[in-house]
Amino acid sequence: MAQDSVGFSSDYQFWMQKLSVWDQASTLETQQDTCLHLPQFQEFLRQMYEVLKEMDSNTIIERFPTIGQLLAKTCWNPFILAFDESQKILIWCLCCLINKEPQNSEESKLNSWTRGLLSHILSAFRFDTKEVGLFTQGLEFTPADYYPGLLKNMVLSLVSELRENHLNGFNTQRRIVPEKIRLLSRICIPLVTLPDIEPLVEALLTYHGHEPQEVLCPEFFDAVNEAFLLKKISLPESAVVCLWLRHLPSLEKATLHLFEKLISSARNFLRRIECFLKDSLLPEAACHPAIFRVVDETFRYALLETNGAPEVIAAIQVFTGCFVEALEKKNKQLKFTFKTYFPYGSPSLVVVLLQHPKEIPQELWHQPLKHISEMLREIVEDQTHRSHGGPFECWFLFIHFGGWADIAAEQLVMSEAEPPEALLWLLAFSYSPCDGSLQRAQTMAEVKAVLIRLKKLLGSPSLSAKDLQAAAAESRDRDPRPPLCQQLIRRLLLNFLLWIPRAHVIAREVLTLLAPTDELTHEMTGFLDQTLYRWDHLRMEATRPRKLARELLSELCPAGTAV
Amino acid sequence: MESLVEHLQRFSELLAVSRMTHVSTWDPATVRRALQWARYLRHVHRRFGRHVRIRRALERRLQNQWRQEGAPGSAPVPGLTNFQALGRGDLLLSLRLLENRALGDAAYHYLLQQLFPGPGVPDPDEEALQGSLARLARCRSAVQLLRFSGPGEKSALQDPVLKTQAELLLGRLREVPKAEAEGPSRFLSTLWDRLPQNNFLKVLAAALLLPPSSPRPQGEELEPGSPQTPGDGAQELVRWLLAKSDALAAFCRSLPVGLLTSVAGRHPALCRAYLGLLTDWGRRLHYDLPKGTWVGAEPQHVSWEELYGRFQSLCRAPPPLKDEVLTALEACKAQDGDFQVPGVSIWTDLLLALGSGS
Repeated sequence: MAQDSVGFSSDYQFWMQKLSVWDQASTLETQQDTCLHLPQFQEFLRQMYEVLKEMDSNTIIERFPTIGQLLAKTCWNPFILAFDESQKILIWCLCCLINKEPQNSEESKLNSWTRGLLSHILSAFRFDTKEVGLFTQGLEFTPADYYPGLLKNMVLSLVSELRENHLNGFNTQRRIVPEKIRLLSRICIPLVTLPDIEPLVEALLTYHGHEPQEVLCPEFFDAVNEAFLLKKISLPESAVVCLWLRHLPSLEKATLHLFEKLISSARNFLRRIECFLKDSLLPEAACHPAIFRVVDETFRYALLETNGAPEVIAAIQVFTGCFVEALEKKNKQLKFTFKTYFPYGSPSLVVVLLQHPKEIPQELWHQPLKHISEMLREIVEDQTHRSHGGPFECWFLFIHFGGWADIAAEQLVMSEAEPPEALLWLLAFSYSPCDGSLQRAQTMAEVKAVLIRLKKLLGSPSLSAKDLQAAAAESRDRDPRPPLCQQLIRRLLLNFLLWIPRAHVIAREVLTLLAPTDELTHEMTGFLDQTLYRWDHLRMEATRPRKLARELLSELCPAGTAV
Repeated sequence: MESLVEHLQRFSELLAVSRMTHVSTWDPATVRRALQWARYLRHVHRRFGRHVRIRRALERRLQNQWRQEGAPGSAPVPGLTNFQALGRGDLLLSLRLLENRALGDAAYHYLLQQLFPGPGVPDPDEEALQGSLARLARCRSAVQLLRFSGPGEKSALQDPVLKTQAELLLGRLREVPKAEAEGPSRFLSTLWDRLPQNNFLKVLAAALLLPPSSPRPQGEELEPGSPQTPGDGAQELVRWLLAKSDALAAFCRSLPVGLLTSVAGRHPALCRAYLGLLTDWGRRLHYDLPKGTWVGAEPQHVSWEELYGRFQSLCRAPPPLKDEVLTALEACKAQDGDFQVPGVSIWTDLLLALGSGS
């Protein structure tokens, strides 16, 4: 307890000093400094209240003789009063000072003085002119009638001034001075979470002045961004986009905030990821190439840091999906070439990748797949012209549209014909982009062999889990398969289970054999979730496979599917 | 119903008393009862908010009370004016008591405990009241902060203080009993007599210029079948102005010229009255040959410059108004004999001056 009170005393001294310097926050420096400290001061007020509420009025004065000064200075600083809950906590503190039975004139004076402060904050009227005072009081209005209406009208007036300024162009006489706009943005910092102020915040964010440098103060952007991320303010998309375009740190914070949600330790189903994404407004905002690049770079970084973790890849895919959707909605308004979004990829490749499988009949899917495979192969195997980056850049572009790889895997399993080389290459590349050509060829050969064996099994009258496992197993006389190749084969096996009706019966058994460890279960869950998500988006008619997939998923992950 | 009405009346009296020095006799128990009543009435408001018949009945009773209290010398507005106010009765009462210095220390202490119980309040009503009061404090500081940004030059069209007063005035006007036709006029006349006139006129002008779909100040819902629309308030103001010649004269004389033009543009009846006054004022001027200008007989008469300025402003307004003004001027000129030569009829001279200017 002694430790606490020492800490608190020094805090008290610190804040007392600060308040004296700030005074009524009428200069630029005092305003800036006050705004910087608002959250910490509110915390201090809370602590103070906890201390004060245990004491009676006299004890308080004994213990904190200067408390009156502290509270009064707080009252007179409008930035503090305007912030979040500070005014409420201050009122609580003042209430602690009231003595219900003052015994002497000093105690009475303290009461009177405290009542004065409370009145100043709450119930008194203060007017610019006497006439206004007489009018409002003559009509029996209370502050509760007057102030909210006045605030609304002041906001409206400022908003229309800002918008007019926009239109006034070079009419310098009627233009608002940049200093005033900066001041306005500073004033809004404590008020950002007050709903009445939203129109003003929006007007400031979308205000494009005539000066070359940014006229709003950076702390304003920070405050708005913070409030937006915590959902304490609701802004239209256009305003949020302006915020992020004008203040890069805000965009970065928003992206990181999103990432924390997406890539947390708990398994996030893709449906949920999609919700988080849409909620964050980042896909819509990303229709601006500058914003897209920042988010994309963050994804790239996360990918590299996690060595290509499947969660990150899945997040990139969902993000790209939402982004493309948003882009299509806006296609009338924004016209940027695809190169601006994906400067690291070949433009023709981007165009092909952007094709939506939905728009192509299922029977013809092998065509774009072949095309994509060929284009990628050309770029990757071309040692001389590194115009579109190395294999990693290519691969990074490709996984944005990872649905194609999954479709390739399905096609391989479903078709009766011999596995086409193009599809094999594509799959091998998507799972293991940095392989040398020899390694890749080996992978392709392995996969082909497994596929052939699996299809041969279909010829036999009975199908058992052991058979399937044998078909998929490594051959003893060869080198052990690299883990990524193994993963690919597991994926193919799973597709086999889903798409071949005869295999449904043994599906669970096979899965148990395939995924004995937690890690592998995790992997399987991811595959199933991704597959279901993709089928939903493509509106594929796949009743029995879908049913099986759902059942398997809920068995593997009883914590609950998001569907 | 009867007990409910009785409660209403008692609470209304309570509200009225809460501002007087009589509260010095109140002890914590009285405060507690008062707050309980307020809370009870808030429940009533919530429950019967949708029952139109009950609302109407209650409002009628409230307005009867108003009529009784309408004796000269007393406040023009009683404690509870409409059903909506029931929902905020506790807020109104609390603010009045907080502001009343006559309230004893013990009672005040108790009041604060009730209003600001602190964090983590389980009772939703108490939390709501505490929240409203905190929000009010925040709103006040917001107003103060926004004032920092400097007033700027604001015409009455845009001045937020005038606009707010105008909205409040229209709000009160809506509450005046509709049963009597003279209610609103009497109310406005009382205000005219008691309040500073200059400000009142400006507020009237601002009220007349509010957009027709101006939202109600306290978020009241429109009653189904209610005859009152936001435009009605403005109509009442016009009626009153037209009936009260001294107010009309002051309105047209002392308000800024541009503002009057805007008002005339919106309200045809006022436009005609304004033109009527202008012609009256014009007729009082005679031509002073030596000086070569039109002058008034007495110093308080409107001068030629002022008259010209007003007509000029009117003629700068968009078409319906501009045309009407020119037509009126032409008619006056014709009445005078349709002279083309300057110095004979003031209307000729005005038209000449306006013609060359515009």
